Amino acid sequence: MRVAGVDIGSLTAKAVMLEDGEIIGKSLVMTGHNSRLAGRRALDLALKEAGFPEDAIQNIVATGYGRLSIDFPAEQVTEITCHARGAHKIVPDAHTVIDLGGQDSKAIALDDSGRVVDFVMNDKCAAGTGRFLEVMAHALEIGIENLGEASLQSEEPAPISSVCTVFAESEVISRIAEGVSKVDIAAGIHQAIASRIYAMAARIPLKERFVMTGGVAKNIGVVKALESKFKTSFVVPPEPQHVGALGAAIIAAERASVKS
Amino acid sequence: MEIDSKIHEIKDDPYKPAKEWKERTWGKVVGYFCSYAPEEIIYASGALPVRIIGRNKAATLSGAHLQNYCCSLARTSLDMALEGDFDFLDGTVFVHTCDTMQRLSDIWRLNAGAGAHFDVVLPTFLGGKNAYEYLRSELSSFKKSFENEFGKISDDDLRRSIDVYNRNRQLLEELYSLRIDRPEVLSSEKLYMIVTSSSLMEKNEHNKLLESLLSELKASSSSGDSGGGKSVARIFGIGSVMEEWDFLRILKEAGGTFVDDDFCNGRRYFDGLIQQTDDPIEGIARRISERAICPCKHTNTYARADDILERVMDSRAEGVIFFQFKFCEPHAFDYVALKEALDKASIPSMLIEIEQGSVSLEQLRTRIEAFIETIRG
Repeated sequence: MRVAGVDIGSLTAKAVMLEDGEIIGKSLVMTGHNSRLAGRRALDLALKEAGFPEDAIQNIVATGYGRLSIDFPAEQVTEITCHARGAHKIVPDAHTVIDLGGQDSKAIALDDSGRVVDFVMNDKCAAGTGRFLEVMAHALEIGIENLGEASLQSEEPAPISSVCTVFAESEVISRIAEGVSKVDIAAGIHQAIASRIYAMAARIPLKERFVMTGGVAKNIGVVKALESKFKTSFVVPPEPQHVGALGAAIIAAERASVKS
Repeated sequence: MEIDSKIHEIKDDPYKPAKEWKERTWGKVVGYFCSYAPEEIIYASGALPVRIIGRNKAATLSGAHLQNYCCSLARTSLDMALEGDFDFLDGTVFVHTCDTMQRLSDIWRLNAGAGAHFDVVLPTFLGGKNAYEYLRSELSSFKKSFENEFGKISDDDLRRSIDVYNRNRQLLEELYSLRIDRPEVLSSEKLYMIVTSSSLMEKNEHNKLLESLLSELKASSSSGDSGGGKSVARIFGIGSVMEEWDFLRILKEAGGTFVDDDFCNGRRYFDGLIQQTDDPIEGIARRISERAICPCKHTNTYARADDILERVMDSRAEGVIFFQFKFCEPHAFDYVALKEALDKASIPSMLIEIEQGSVSLEQLRTRIEAFIETIRG
């Protein structure tokens, strides 16, 4: 059976193709201003990699912010359920998923079978998300992809008290003016994110094992800061950005087999 | 449905029915904030009580008087008063519930109030003989000061008013029971427009609308406007004022509906009938003491949680959504105990905090859909 999962996030759109449970194609594109177009491009690219036409797909599940504005027939499932299912597939004994995406942060509690038991999600505020890190990286003149590695060199992280994107940026600028090194500020930013995520996640039952998904999981500095805050280790899947799309594809397969 | 056009009116301008009533009858209109306000006394005088419910717009002028940590209900209502939206009122009644409301009363009187101004200071503890005696005397003295402004109210006036209010409560109770059995007959968006409109228009007129609505609904087969082949997800709502129509629309689109609630423009508004006694004030005081309690008040430690849990079970709700205004302390304090009670009973729940006039709808949609996916497994 061939199915697809398409996850259209605020920053990037991802697609995963499954054939009998095996990944045979995937893609990642920038969402930009048009999520309909982004979803289409992600789907087309993944189809190309898989090497079969769209009508060969039995079922598609769309997830993420853009899940409602798509131009292909699909069922919609929220990214919370999809991330849970995707994480469970990669790490079968996962019970807590921390998903830090482009514009939101979520903590999800799973049961043994990968179903969502409880979840929390940030409010409107984008603090602690990919967008927040982009603003901080810009203020520090460090490439976003190097921010994590750079912060690991810090010996004395600079305390950043606010994680409000606007306030934190001015706090970072005043630390720069004080002559604090970039790596210490970067480490301070990651600690501030970890504190905030921990405070949010503490509302739901936290149980081993912990998995981190979403684009921010590619930042080793945030992962280390979270591990020290949660006092445990996190499993980061090789492609953390694709976990939601993978979960969507798994759900697509489940629903297609119920139907047939 | 005849009620449809009326309730849509209140969505665009909640005060249109009251303004029209005033023009038609030359009567007095009195604003109030809280479901504990003794409306029966106001109505008995011939005046029309209308509830002030804020608006879905970011707060502006009120910033000069209220801190940002006051709820949007207080702030946007004060905005409206400062902009002159409540100039049609002949008076305002403030019931002491939370700190913000008590302080708002003074700010309102000094800066915004149109016409007469009344404070009704309810006891915080609503159990026991002393609290009851105090409440009765407070209601009597409110009646006296109200009479000074709006004319004498006889005991018969009060009894007639109580009859009209009891009828309204009975009808709303009937509507709720009907929806618990057949939630698909009426969307929750319409339900809260109907309960809210009860506090915004002439009560007898509202009773008539409810009577015809109920007979229509009873006659109809079960397919209603909640749509969809799948059975609707039954949710119990907890919060203060539920007038976030977009939220209710999204809830419906996500396949959910409120089957019962603890909102103050929901069950807390109409819960409990008034016994007609020799002293009508006594009956009003009894109902206030015994109706579904607001988190601003208390009786004993577990009463509210026990009561809510029972109603969640009775309404066969699959999950609970707490819908709170940001910075609302009484609801936030109670949340902890209520959540614990729900967790113990294995009833899933979700907390949503919003500010009127500043809601991220798509973010809200994701959370509501995910919650329904979670309870449906």
